[in-house]
Parts: sequence; C-alpha cells; structure tokens
Amino acid sequence: MEFFRNTHIIFMGGMRVAFILSTMLIVLSIGSLIAHGGPHLSIDFTGGAELQVKIDPAPEISQLRASLERQGLSGVQVQDFGAADEFLIVLPRTEEEVLDAAQVLLDAVEEGLPGSTVEVRREESVGPKIGGELKTAAQSSVLAALLLIVLYISVRFVFRYGVAAIVALVHDVTLTLGIFSVLNLEISLSIIAAFLTIIGYSLNDTIVVFDRIRENMKLRRKESYRQVINRSINECLSRTVLTSLTTLMVALSLYLFGGPVIHDFAFALVIGVLVGTYSSIFIASPILVWWYERRVADRKRAQPAM
Amino acid sequence: MNRSLRIRGVLVVVVLLLSVWGLLPTIRLALMSAEDKEVARSDPERAEQLANLEEKAIRQGLDLQGGMYLVLEIDTTGMTADQARDALQRVREIVGNRVDQFGVSEPVIQTQGTSRIVVQLPGLLDAERAKRLIGQTAQLEFRLVRPLEEYENAVTKVDEALRKAGLIEGVADPTEDFADAAVDTAGDASADEAEAAVAAADTAENPFGELPSALDEDDALAGEPAAEMLREYPFSSRVIYQPQLQNYGTPLWVEERNVARVRRLVDEAVELRAMPRGTEFQFGMETVTLQGDQRLRPLYLVSDSPSLTGDRLTDARTSPDPNYPANWQVEFSLDRKGGRQFAKVTGDNVGRKLAISLDGQVNSAPTIQGKIPTGSGTITGRFTNAEASDLALLLRAGALPTDVHIEEERTVGPSLGRDSIRQGVTAALFGLAIVVLFIIVYYGGAGVVTVVALVTNIIILLAILAQFSLVLTLPGIAGIILTIGMAVDANVLVNERIREELRKSKTVRAAVESGYANASRTIIDANVTTLIAAGILLWFGTGPILGFAVTLTIGILASLFTALVQSRVIMEIMTRKKGHQRINV
Repeated sequence: MEFFRNTHIIFMGGMRVAFILSTMLIVLSIGSLIAHGGPHLSIDFTGGAELQVKIDPAPEISQLRASLERQGLSGVQVQDFGAADEFLIVLPRTEEEVLDAAQVLLDAVEEGLPGSTVEVRREESVGPKIGGELKTAAQSSVLAALLLIVLYISVRFVFRYGVAAIVALVHDVTLTLGIFSVLNLEISLSIIAAFLTIIGYSLNDTIVVFDRIRENMKLRRKESYRQVINRSINECLSRTVLTSLTTLMVALSLYLFGGPVIHDFAFALVIGVLVGTYSSIFIASPILVWWYERRVADRKRAQPAM
Repeated sequence: MNRSLRIRGVLVVVVLLLSVWGLLPTIRLALMSAEDKEVARSDPERAEQLANLEEKAIRQGLDLQGGMYLVLEIDTTGMTADQARDALQRVREIVGNRVDQFGVSEPVIQTQGTSRIVVQLPGLLDAERAKRLIGQTAQLEFRLVRPLEEYENAVTKVDEALRKAGLIEGVADPTEDFADAAVDTAGDASADEAEAAVAAADTAENPFGELPSALDEDDALAGEPAAEMLREYPFSSRVIYQPQLQNYGTPLWVEERNVARVRRLVDEAVELRAMPRGTEFQFGMETVTLQGDQRLRPLYLVSDSPSLTGDRLTDARTSPDPNYPANWQVEFSLDRKGGRQFAKVTGDNVGRKLAISLDGQVNSAPTIQGKIPTGSGTITGRFTNAEASDLALLLRAGALPTDVHIEEERTVGPSLGRDSIRQGVTAALFGLAIVVLFIIVYYGGAGVVTVVALVTNIIILLAILAQFSLVLTLPGIAGIILTIGMAVDANVLVNERIREELRKSKTVRAAVESGYANASRTIIDANVTTLIAAGILLWFGTGPILGFAVTLTIGILASLFTALVQSRVIMEIMTRKKGHQRINV
C-alpha cells in the first residue's frame, strides 16, 4: 500500500494562501488571548486549590454551585468531570494558607449537601509563591527550548533554517494557545509539557524536510531554489503524512480513552500534531524560499547601482 | 554472515534478553492477585521475597497508586544561612519521625533548595490528618498565667497604644468574615458545651465549675460596639471582661467572630511594645458556647517566657480520661532536668494557674494545687482517641524548630489511581493495536519488522524504568503512548527511503544499505531536537511532568536503537541470501 508516489504537488503555490490563513489564525489567537486577558492559567501558576470529588447521590451542577456560593465561596468554578457524579471545583488565587484551602472547599461541599457521601478523588493546592515560581520556570523552559533548538539547527544546517524552524514553532504554539483560549481551557503544568512535546515533534517534521532540501541542493544544482524545496517536500510527503497519522492515532487514543485527568493534555497533543504537520509543509519551508528569493531580488536590485 | 552483522545481531539479542529479564519482577508482581500478596505478607520469608520483587518492579507514581505529595516551606526569617540550614535538617528529621510513626510505607522526605522539604506519602488515605500532623509546629509550653490585677493594666495599656497609633479595626467586611471563618475552623470544631477540661498531673483542679447563669446581656457582651467606642477603646470594646468566669483560668473572652480581628490587634500591640513587661496574650484553643449562641474564645495573659518546654519530654501516651470515659487524654513524662524544673515551678507557684499551650494557643490552664515532684503530667480535653494519639505522636516526635507552611499539595485518592491505570492501559493498548494494524497493512513484510521494533522499544523502555527504579506516572504512561506513535517515525523514514532506492532499480541489498545510510542522518537530526525538548522538561519538570519527560526521553533513545540497529539487522538478515531480489516494503 502506498499513499503518495511521485507526487508533484506545487506546495509553493499554496504558500500565499497558507501565509494568509496562518496570519488570520494567529491574529484570531492573539485577539482571543487579549480578550480573555491572557491565557487562562490553572492554579499551578496562579496559586489556589482544586478538588475533584465524587458525590453520591449526584447533585445538579447548579445546585452544587449555588450551595458553595451560599457559603460565601464566590469565585469558585464548578464543572463536570468525566462522569455525571464527578465534579471539579476550583478555587483560584486563594489567600488562605494552603493547608486549609482544599479543606475549606471540601467542608463547604459536605456542608452544602447534607446526606450525600463525598469521596475525594484528587486534591491539589498550590501556594502563590510556588505558583509564581512554576510560571517563571514554565516560561523560561519554553524559551530555553526554542533557543537551544535554533542553536542546534544553526549548527547542523545554517542560521536561516533555524529561523524558519522557530517561526514555524512559534506559529504552532501560538495557534495551540489560541485554540485553548477560544475554548477557555486551562493552561496547567501538564499543558506546558504538551507544548514542549509539540515543539519537539513539530521540529522533528521540519528537520526531516530540511534534511532533504539540503541533500537535494547538492544533487540538483540546475533546479531553482523554489523547485528544489518543492521537490523535497513532495519526496518527504509520504513519510510526513504517515508519521503524523500514527502519532495522531495514539494522541487520539489518549484523548478518547486516557481519562479526564489527562484529557486536556491529550487534546493539546492532537492539536499540536495537526498544526505541526501543517506548519512544517506550509510555513517552515516556504519561509526558506521567501527569505532566499528576497535576498536574491535584493542583490539583483542592488547590482545596477554598482 | 559478515562480522559486523554478527556483532550487531548478538547485541540486539542481548539487549532484548536483558530487557525481558529486567521486566520479570514486574510481570510476576502483576500476575499476583491482591489476595496472593496479602497471604505472602503474612509469611515472613515470602514477605521478604515480595518486598524484593516490589523493589525490582516498576514503581507506580503517587497519581497511580494514590498518595500525597507535599512541599513544605520553613520560615527562616531572621536566621543566618547556617541556622537556616540546621533548621531545615531538623525539620526534615522531625517530619521524618512523625511520618514514620504515622505508618506510611516507603515515604520519601527530601530537602529541596535552602528552605523546602518535599514529602511523598504513597497510598495515604487520610490527607487532612497527615497535613495536620506534618505541618504543625507542636511546640508544647508551660507558662504561668498572670494574676487578675495585671489583666486590667494590660488591657488599658493596649487600648492606649492602639488609640495613639490610630488603629481601629473597623466594621467587618464580608471577605474578612470568610477569612476569619477559615482560620478558626480548627478552634470551634465541636465546641458546644462549656467544658475546657484541664488537668496537670495529680493535682488537677476540676475546672468544670458552674457558669454564672446570668451573664449581663447589656454588658460588653452585646453585639457590635459603636464607632465611637471603637475609637476610644479599640481593644477593650472588642473583648469581654468576665471575672466570674475565672474557672476557665482567665477573665477575658472574645466573641468567635471577632477572634481574627483581636488577634491582629494583639499582634499590633506587641509591635507597638504596649504589652506590660513580661506578659503576652494567648488565645485558648477551643471555643466555649454560653447561653445558646454566645460563642466565646478565652484570651489568656501569660508570662512571655515559658517555665518549661516540650523539649524536655521523654514520652507521651494516650489513655482514657478517668473522669469522662468517652474522652481521651495524653500522659507525658519529662526527663530528669525537666522534672526538676517542673517541680520547682509548681512548688513556687501554688495557687496560681499554669497554662499548657501548644503552638501559642492555650490548651488548658489548671490551678497548681501543690508541688509536682513526679516529672509527669496529663493533658486532658475533649479529645477523641485519634486526636489524643495524634497529639501524643506530635509530642513524642518533637517540635519543629520553626514555622512550616505547606506551599504545595497534590493528593490522589486510590480509586482515582486505579481508574487512571485502567484508562492509561486501555489507551496504550488501543493506540498500539491501531498503529500496528496500520503499519502492517501499509508496509507488509517491512511493516512486521517495524512492529517488532515498536514492541521491543516498549519492552526496553519499561525495563529501564524498572532497572533504574524510575517512577511510572500517568503522564509517564502518556509519554509511552506518544513514543509508540513517534518510534514508528524512524522506521518509516527508513522504509520510505528503501522504497525510493528500489524505484531507482537497485538490488534489494543495495537499496537496504543506501536506505539506512541516507535515513540515519535524518533520524538522528530529527530526534536530537525532540531530545532537547525532553531534556528541558527533565530539567524544569516537577512531580507529574517529570514522569512524562523520563518516559519520553528513554522512549526516544530506545527508538534510535531499535530503528538504527535492530531493524537494520533484521532487514539485512532477511535480504542476506544472494539472489534474494524481492522485499515487501
């Protein structure tokens, strides 16, 4: 079986469309992020408490919310979690001592629903200090990853390739952040882990294409830069699609069967695989062409003056 | 067969055998039912075997087996670097003592940086109790209660100082009320009777005197004081002076809803140096309910230095309270020096009250009836058996040298852990099945080689986890699943390359050869970048993320081996025969 044999799809032709599409999506993402006042950070970064409880008999979610509000716990978010009788209760930015925060929530749940049994499935509290530290660590880790990768690619290829790869990466992470923002999903520690994985994965794809471009540059000196790049993408297409498919399959499997605790994490991976594949074909390589052709054009324009 | 191929072939077989061997304990453990384990544990010899097996098997993270992860931060304000280091070690030791007595198997207690301690308690059920036990300073002190006349003096001086400083704790706002309620949950837990039972050693006075039946309702006990009163008497308008309640050891009381505010005023007074020399205020631990809904906390004026501290304790045991059999008490004994000090204090102050306070809150303040020479005493209260045991445990393990805050807590209940394992395994098996199916359909014979590489990859990954005692977490399982998808990549690169080379009508052997030669560089380049990302996760990763980074890193390394060495050996052997002209790629 073979999906692609000797394809001659003119990807470079789609470059303009892809750039416009990506620019629009990025503007939308940034717009959504601004409208929401930045990414929706979880208690991992803001500090706060989170309580996952199973309640028997299961109350209506509105009933649970109302009972918590009646007890003066305003600003508490309540949501279904995986099953009808399971809830996630989040108390962001708590001023309480962490020792008490989750307990205050639990007491309030128990008091608000007399006669129900409440099973604590998971309980997390993060103090504002550690939250701040985790935030810094998350930011610097993403930055460090980007930097090291540019460095590596610049050494293995040339600087131009490194920049193209980074633009693709920033594109991927921005879009994923944007989708999370539009859907109002939380950015937690594990989502940052997913982002770093997306970075690694998306790059994996990009590098395979770059590698082929470099190889073809030597082999096909008569073809134009644009043609070589187009040929390289076509030659790698089968592999790109295949690997993306298998990775997508496992990410989807994680999303569907992995359970509510890693649901958002798996979702980030699914989005990342899709966006990463798209960007390595339609963003990273075309940037090389654009950069190269502009430079050549500049040189041509500069020549008559000399 | 050429030499290089033979060496690589042996390497592949050895790695595979080692990996399977490394996984045997995990497999044997997984095959044992819960009852089998229970039976094994009761037999000393088999219990040791089982422990040995568990040691060598893959360890499950707290999120899979249930448990608690805590980050404690110690208060090092005013300490030098050396003192802080000592304090950190002391706290670690004492927390270790407490955890040991708590009966958790395989706890992990480590220091982190200069002021933090990470505590991991696997399989723990009662999170609240554990937090109370670990975070409590548990500084036991005996302090003399100041005589009645000093109270008035102290209240007047505090009033004056606060008035001069212009500090008036105004009318409550709702958020403040919430904060108060949260802070005081420990104190007013079950107090609905007026019985703060107290006794020190054999000389205990019975504190259960009848309350004066008619508290003057119009007195200071009445609701919110007027603004003018607050300005004029910022402190005394918030407290209630009831000398007839002396039975409790103090004439001063504070309404429950005012406790947090008065606490701030008291702190402010200390700051302003308004307290009479040698005295300080301490709240009582429990709330007393008077006349239906009047909930009051006693406020004691005690000496500012303790007559004796818990350091001198040698033992603490629980026993039922002889007077109230439903209640439990804690009996403690002091070392020789402590016993002498105790005898002196009690002998010198017959008739005065001695407050027993824990972490700055008065548990009880019995009257000293006479000299206590035995070096032992009793703390009574409305303790349940569990509460009394916990208090005894804390006293035995010793007080923390400084305040400790729980900065981060992550607890997973065992039922969620079991669900996570089930869901993780389902997702892994489903992901594996669908990828295997897809690859075999797509590549045929070469697909089988890829699948073999994939399965080997997972075996190696799990074996390394077991061998190096790494912990498998739910994100770790996610990392394995992701590895399944990504490990295919290296093989796909090779297979695609071989297909291309075959199209150039090379012989099968040549195609395999140049396929690997060309693909290897790409594979390494591509994986190094993912390794960079995984490496950064390892560096920055805390708790759960670390598990993901670990499996991802090992998975990538293992996939390099299986794709570049193992699959290649298999392919070369398959195409070794001369004249073998067809390969199913």
